[in-house]
Amino acid sequence: MALLGKLHRRIVDVGLVPKIVASLPVISIICALFSVGWFALLPMEGHYRRTYISENALMPSQAYSYFRETEWNILRGYRGELEELMDVSIPVRNELVSTWLEEFGMKTAVYHDTQHGDTLYGLLHAPRGDGTEAILLTVPWKNADGEDNVGGAALGIALARYFSRWPIWSRNIILVFSENSNSALRSWVDAYHRSLDLTGGSIEAAIVLDYPGSNDYFDYVELFYDGLNGELPNLDMVNIAVSIAEHEGMKVSLHGLEGPELYENSFFSRLKVLLMGVKSSALSGLRKQHGNEAFSGWRIQCVTLKAHGKDGSHDITTFGRIPEAMFRSINNLLEKFHQSFFFYMLLAPKYFVSISSYLPSAVAISLSFTVASIDSFMNNEYKSLPFSTIYNSKAFVAWAITVAVSFAIAQLFLHFPAANLLIAASLLTSLSPFMPCVGYRISRTLSFRLKSIAFIVFGLVLTCLLTVNFALAFGMGLLAYPLTLIRVSQNGQQYKTLRIKNTLLLIISNPFISMLIITALFEPDLEGIQILYELASAWSDLSCWTWFVICIGWLPTWILGALSTSNKPDLLSVDGEKKEQ
Amino acid sequence: MVGNLGIIQVTTWLLLVLLFPAIHANREIGNRDEVVDCSDFYSETRPTTNGSGLLRGNLTSSADVKQIGSDKNRIPSSNEDLVERSITSAAGTRYPYEENLTIRPLPNSHLLTSFSFHMKSQKFVPRQSSNDYNDYSHYTVFPKAFKPMLDRTSTRQLSLRFTRGYWDSESWGRLPHDGFRSGGSGVELWATIESRSKDDAFKQWKTLANSLSGIFCASINFIDNSRTTFPVNSFQPNDLESDGLPIFDHSKQLYLIRAALANEPICTENLTPFIKLLPTKGKSGISTLLDGHRVFDSLWHSLSIDINTRCNNSTDTCHYYAEVLIDTVINVPSVLARNERPIPKPVPSEQLRCDLSKPFDAFRCFPLPEQTEVQYSISQIFGKHIVGSNLISDEPSRVCVEVTDRWNAFVDVNGVFYATSDNCFDLRHSINQDIHLEATDSRSVAHLEEAPVYVSRSLTGYGQDRGGLRTVFNNPSLEPITLVYFESLPWFMRVYLSTMKLDIDDSGDQELTLQQVIKSMHYTPASDRSRPTHLEYTVIVPPKTSFSISYQFDKSLLLYAEYPPDANHGFEVESAVVTVLSPTKYQTRTATLLLLLSTPDFSMPYNVIILTSTIMGLIFGTMFNLVLKRLVTVKEADILQSRNKSKLKVFKERILTKLIDLRG
Repeated sequence: MALLGKLHRRIVDVGLVPKIVASLPVISIICALFSVGWFALLPMEGHYRRTYISENALMPSQAYSYFRETEWNILRGYRGELEELMDVSIPVRNELVSTWLEEFGMKTAVYHDTQHGDTLYGLLHAPRGDGTEAILLTVPWKNADGEDNVGGAALGIALARYFSRWPIWSRNIILVFSENSNSALRSWVDAYHRSLDLTGGSIEAAIVLDYPGSNDYFDYVELFYDGLNGELPNLDMVNIAVSIAEHEGMKVSLHGLEGPELYENSFFSRLKVLLMGVKSSALSGLRKQHGNEAFSGWRIQCVTLKAHGKDGSHDITTFGRIPEAMFRSINNLLEKFHQSFFFYMLLAPKYFVSISSYLPSAVAISLSFTVASIDSFMNNEYKSLPFSTIYNSKAFVAWAITVAVSFAIAQLFLHFPAANLLIAASLLTSLSPFMPCVGYRISRTLSFRLKSIAFIVFGLVLTCLLTVNFALAFGMGLLAYPLTLIRVSQNGQQYKTLRIKNTLLLIISNPFISMLIITALFEPDLEGIQILYELASAWSDLSCWTWFVICIGWLPTWILGALSTSNKPDLLSVDGEKKEQ
Repeated sequence: MVGNLGIIQVTTWLLLVLLFPAIHANREIGNRDEVVDCSDFYSETRPTTNGSGLLRGNLTSSADVKQIGSDKNRIPSSNEDLVERSITSAAGTRYPYEENLTIRPLPNSHLLTSFSFHMKSQKFVPRQSSNDYNDYSHYTVFPKAFKPMLDRTSTRQLSLRFTRGYWDSESWGRLPHDGFRSGGSGVELWATIESRSKDDAFKQWKTLANSLSGIFCASINFIDNSRTTFPVNSFQPNDLESDGLPIFDHSKQLYLIRAALANEPICTENLTPFIKLLPTKGKSGISTLLDGHRVFDSLWHSLSIDINTRCNNSTDTCHYYAEVLIDTVINVPSVLARNERPIPKPVPSEQLRCDLSKPFDAFRCFPLPEQTEVQYSISQIFGKHIVGSNLISDEPSRVCVEVTDRWNAFVDVNGVFYATSDNCFDLRHSINQDIHLEATDSRSVAHLEEAPVYVSRSLTGYGQDRGGLRTVFNNPSLEPITLVYFESLPWFMRVYLSTMKLDIDDSGDQELTLQQVIKSMHYTPASDRSRPTHLEYTVIVPPKTSFSISYQFDKSLLLYAEYPPDANHGFEVESAVVTVLSPTKYQTRTATLLLLLSTPDFSMPYNVIILTSTIMGLIFGTMFNLVLKRLVTVKEADILQSRNKSKLKVFKERILTKLIDLRG
C-alpha cells in the first residue's frame, strides 16, 4: 500500500491522468506504430530462434533411406504408364491405378462426389500396427497450377509399393488420388470423417506430393504449410520435412522464394519470408491451394512438397526419399506431436519466431483501437453525460443493427455473389460524410458514441482473433487502422476538407475495398474482384472463416465509423440538446 | 614351415567354405531325387502321377509309415474321443493330450498356420476342497497353474484371447474356427463364474483376472469395473458347446463376465507362458516351431486359451478341458525375402521382375506381381524344424496341409520327402522334420468360405468435444442375416442413443427403418469411472444390403490424474463384437478405435500457480495494509509526516546530547 499509495499520490500530484487522457489519440498512433515496429524487428538477430525437433521420438533421417537404385526403374515404369493415362478420363484412370495398387496388397475404394470430383484411395494395413491411426500420402491428379502431377502420382504408387515391403509400420498407410488439390481433396477428407466405409483410423499426418511433369531431375523443393483459419501444422512436421530435404542436399523454399534468394540469409530476406508468411496465412484458402489446406481442422499435420525446376541436380527418387524418411519419422511417434508447437512464424526454413515474440505486435494493434475507443468517449464535451443517455442506447441499437445487416450481407453474398454491387455499396456508404448535405444528419454526441462502440468492439474482435489467427488479426488491424483517424467535425472547422479526408479514410479502410487494393498490389494470382468470390467459395468449399470474420468483425465497425461522420456540425444545437438532458 | 602349413590350412578352409554351398545344393538335389511316394503303404492309394517327378523308392522300415487318410484319426470333434484316449495305453503312460498343426495357403501368397493343443485334466470331484484328506491332486498334462485358480474363483469356463493385426476377410474368407477363437486387437477375457451374487462374482472375476495377469505377463490386472460388462446375448457358452456348463452348488448362479484391453501390446513374453502351459514345453512336437520372432512377425496372429468344465452326472466327476490355439497369417514372399535380406532393400537389378508387355528397358520397369510358382518349407517360415513328435500322447503330432491339387505337400524326414493322399502327416520320428510345400500356381487355394457379414466401424466428427460412431454392416449373401452387435464403450464417451440413425447405401432398400432393422436392444448406460456403456442389439441385415448405424457421443473431460502419462496417443476403444446367429454361426470383430480427448497442457497449472500466487501476494499486501493502517487525507498525511519528522529530530537530538554527555 505504501508503495502503491505513494505512486498514486505522485500521479495525482503530477496530473498524469488528464494528460494521458488528452494525449489518447497520440497513444493510439504510438500503439499502431509500435505494432508495426515490433513486427519489423522480429527478423533481427535475437528475436528469432533456430528450429529444433521438439519431439525426440521423430529422429528425422536417422534411418538410411532405401528409396533408390532399382526403385528408380519401377518409378519410371509407373510414370511411363501414367503419362499415357493423363489423357484418359479420371474414372477410367482411377480404375486402372486401383488394379496396380491391389497387386501389392492395398485395399482400394473410390469416393464418388459429383460436385467436386471422384477420389481414389488405397489403404495399406500396417502389419504390426494396431490399425487405429494412419499416415496419408496424397497426390492430386492436377496440382494447384493446373499441371498434370505425373511425377507425383508415379512417386505415390512407387512409394506405396515400396512401403508395402517394409514390416516396420505402426500406422496404416493411405494413398489418396484426388482430382484437384482443393475442393475435391477437402471433400474426401470431410467424407473420411463422415461417411466412408473403408477407413484406416484417425489420420495422424499427411504429405501432399506435387511433382508436375515427367522430368527426371528437379532443382529445389518448395514447402507449403499454411492451414485454414490460421491453423498451422505442428512445427515438428515442418522441421522434419526441412531437415530431411536438407539432409538429402536439396534447398527448401518457402512462400515462392526462388533462385539466389534461397541462399540468402539477411535481415531483409528474413523479413520478406515473414511478410510473405503473414500474407499467405491471412489469405489461405483464398489463394491457390496446394493441398495442405484441405486437412485443416481434424488435427491432421500436413505439408505439401513441391518440386521446382526441370534441370536441377536432384533426381526424382531423391524427392521420394523426403516422404519416405518423413513417414519413418512419423511412424516413430509414440504419442502425439508435441502440444505447444502450433504457433510460430517461419523466417527461413530453419528459423522461426515463437508466439511470445510476435504476439505483442498484434496486441498493440488491438490496443490502439481500444485506446481510440476511450478517446472518442473521453476527449469531448460529452464525457460527463450519464451512462444511461439516449445516445448510448442509440449507439448500442445501431451496433446491433449493423451486425445484423453485416451478417445478412455475408449470407446473401454466398447465394447471390454480386461483388460489383458490394463494392458500389461500399463506395456509396463511404460518402456518408456528405450525408448532412442531403439533409440526413445525426447528433455529434451520437457520432462520438458510435465511434467509441465501433472501436471497442473491433478491439475485442482483434484480441479474440490474435491467438487463433495472428496473420488475419494483424492484417485486419493494420488495414482498418485508418478508421481511427476519422475526425468528428467541430464547429469552426473547414467542413469540406474534413469531409473529403474522412471519405478517403473510409474508402481505404473498407474491408472489401482494402482487400481489393491489397490483392491488386501483392497477390497477382487473384485478379480484380475475384478475391471476393474466393472468400465466399472458401467458406462453402473449405469452411474457411475469413469471409465471416471480415463481415461480422470488420464490416459493422466500418459501417458505424461511416455513420459517425454524418454528424451535425453546429455546436448550438448540441448545447440545446445538453440542456434537454 | 609353420606359416606355410597355416596358409594351406586357411586355403583348405576357404575352399571348403566356398564349395559348401555347391555341396549343399548337390545334397538338396539328391534329396529331391530320393522323394518317395509312400502310397503303396497306405490303405488308400493314389495315382503316382500326382506328385510331379516323384520316384518310387523303398522305405527301410514299413513301420515308419502309419496308415493315415481315414477319418477316425482326425482331430476329435467331440470330446468323448479325447476321454477315451486318456486311458493309459499298452505302450506306456499316455496322457490326454493332442496337438495339430494346419497349414493353409491363402490368396495373395499368404499362409495361415493354425496350431491347436488339447489337454484334459485328471478327473476331480466337484465341491471337494483341495485340502480334503481324500483329495489327490495330480496334474499330468493339464497346466498346473490353472486348476487351483479355477477352483478358487469357481470359474466354470474361461476364454482368453491375445489377438493383433488385421484379418482381411474380404480375401481370406472366414476367420479361423469361425471367429470364435480369436479376439479383438489386444487382450480379451471372458469367463463364466459360479457365484452367489453379482458382487461376489465380480470379486471372483477380479481375482481371476489378477491371477491370469501373473500367468501371462500381461496387464490383465488393469481390468476393473470400468471395463467389465456382463454380456446378455453375446459370448454365450452355448454358442460352442452342446451341453451347458455344470453348477456345483445349486444355490448359486452362473455369471458371464467379460472385459477387454484394447490394443494391449502382445509380445514374446505373452507367448512364452502359452508354450509353458503345454506339456511339451516347446521342446518337442509342433510347439517347437513357436518362436516369438516369427509368430509376432505376422500380419495377423491370435493366441487363445479356452478352458471348460465338463461333468459326468452318473459318476459325479468332472474334468477341465483346455484348448490352446495359436493362429498366424504371414505373407510368404516377404518372410522368405527377409530370410535372405533382413532389410527390404531395393532388389538388385538382375532380380527385377518387369512386365515385358509394357515398355521396358534398362531404366524403366513396370513391376510384375509376385511369382505364382513357389516352393518353400515350414522351417523357412518359422526359422526352426519340427523336433520330433510329442511323446506323451498316443496321438502323434499331426500336420495337415489344406491345398488344392496345384500344390504338393511333403514331409521331409531326414532329407527324404514323403507325401500322403490327404496331405496330413503324423510325425512319429524323434528327429528333425520339416514340411515342404510347392505350387505350380499359388493363386489356387483351397476353398475359402465367405464371411457371412462384413462389419466396420469408424469414428466420425470434427473437433474435440463431440464425435460419432458409425458402424457399417454389409451382407453380401442372398440370405438375411441375424446378428448380435455387442459394444462396450468407455465411460468418457457419453453416448446419445437418441441420435441413433440408419443410413442405407444407394443400392439398398431406402424404405428400411431403424425399427425394422434392430430387433431387440440391451443398453446399460455408463456410470462415471465405474461402469462402461454396454450396448447389445440384434440386427437383421437383409440380403445384398449394406447400411450403417451411427450415433453421436460427447467426450467428457477427465480429472487431471486420470490422463495417462505423457507418452500416449489417445484412448483406445475396444472393438465391437459381432456374433452371427443365423443362417450360420460366426463371430467377427471390428477394428479398435483411437479416441482423442481434449488434453490440457499440463505445464499450464505451473504457470497458473505462479501467476495466481503473485497476484495473491500483491492483493494480500494491499489488503493487509488497508486493514491495519488508518486512512487519512493527503493533507492530514502531510501534517502527520512533518510531525513525525519533528519527533524524530527531537529523538535524534536527545541521543546526540546523551552521547556528548557520555564523552564528556
